[in-house]
Amino acid sequence: MSGRWRGGPLPWVALGLAALVYCGWALAPTSPLYARALTPHLLVGAAAILKLVYLLSGALWAFACRDRLEPGNPARPAWALLSIGLLATFAGQLSLAPFQIVRNESPFPSVGDLYYVLAYPFLIAAFVVFLRAYREAGLPMGSAGEQLAILAGVAALALAAGIPILRPVVASEGTLLERLLNVAYPVLDLILLVPLALLLRVALRLRGGRVGSVWALLLGGMIFLCLGDISFAYFTALGQEHLDPLVHVTYILAYGLISGGTHRQHELLRS
Amino acid sequence: MERGTAVRAVVRVLAPYIGDTMARSATEAHCQRLGISGERVTPEQLDGLLAKLGSGLNVFIGREKSATVIDEARAALASLEAAS
Repeated sequence: MSGRWRGGPLPWVALGLAALVYCGWALAPTSPLYARALTPHLLVGAAAILKLVYLLSGALWAFACRDRLEPGNPARPAWALLSIGLLATFAGQLSLAPFQIVRNESPFPSVGDLYYVLAYPFLIAAFVVFLRAYREAGLPMGSAGEQLAILAGVAALALAAGIPILRPVVASEGTLLERLLNVAYPVLDLILLVPLALLLRVALRLRGGRVGSVWALLLGGMIFLCLGDISFAYFTALGQEHLDPLVHVTYILAYGLISGGTHRQHELLRS
Repeated sequence: MERGTAVRAVVRVLAPYIGDTMARSATEAHCQRLGISGERVTPEQLDGLLAKLGSGLNVFIGREKSATVIDEARAALASLEAAS
């Protein structure tokens, strides 16, 4: 991942290091490094701050992209919707952060879930509007048959992965709200995967160009977001809280990549 | 101008932004839609092609930057025409 973020490759190195630290925590939580120096409380607090920084910067850059596009540009509302979706996720993370930083706790369910759930319609709408904009622009989006095949592939994946994941979540012993939310997140992610899968086809054709690198980051981030939600629901339902570091890694990577993608698009529009 | 030469010149300008594959497939798709299928392409057909490519590029990089890129493609085509 070459760095075109302001400051060169440094933000990418920081993101990679953060991912390594949290992976290390998952793999060797009782090692002296994690028992004495990088304690769970410190790491949970640091993850909260990192996520807030990435989400806010992503939302601001996405809005700046919307601002740089002229009125009437079909991609303009998509950047605005993406910005709102990221801002809603930021609000969710902001409401959790004090608990994580001060008490090393991540209450669930919490008021943060209201914002997290609220973010999905905006994120899904953003990617649908991107798709429509690219189609209107006359870009080759594939035949109806190809698009149907992609949708069928996503549906098959959703069934193959969704049922085994959701079964223990539904059968878990949590409150009704906990179980509803734990089902809602993966289901919303699977809905989000539909426009993402169609955009992936476009993104693959854009590879090698500056726009392609924007989409590689945005789609990579969204895929990590889906993985984060699914693993959160699964680990919570199965009571595997010791795997929380992996959930932190996926969210940090998700928000970091999305923020990097919005920044790269902003740089492209500014250049 | 020879069609293949013109398409290659346009693709070379667009590729740094939208990648070689998209640049090539978008150019070919627009050629097909505009009925540019012969071995040679007229200046009017090239203008039509560049206008279509410009509106496609708009969604990615905005109208202003898209106009600059299309001007660059027009200049590349003009220099090819002058050299031939």
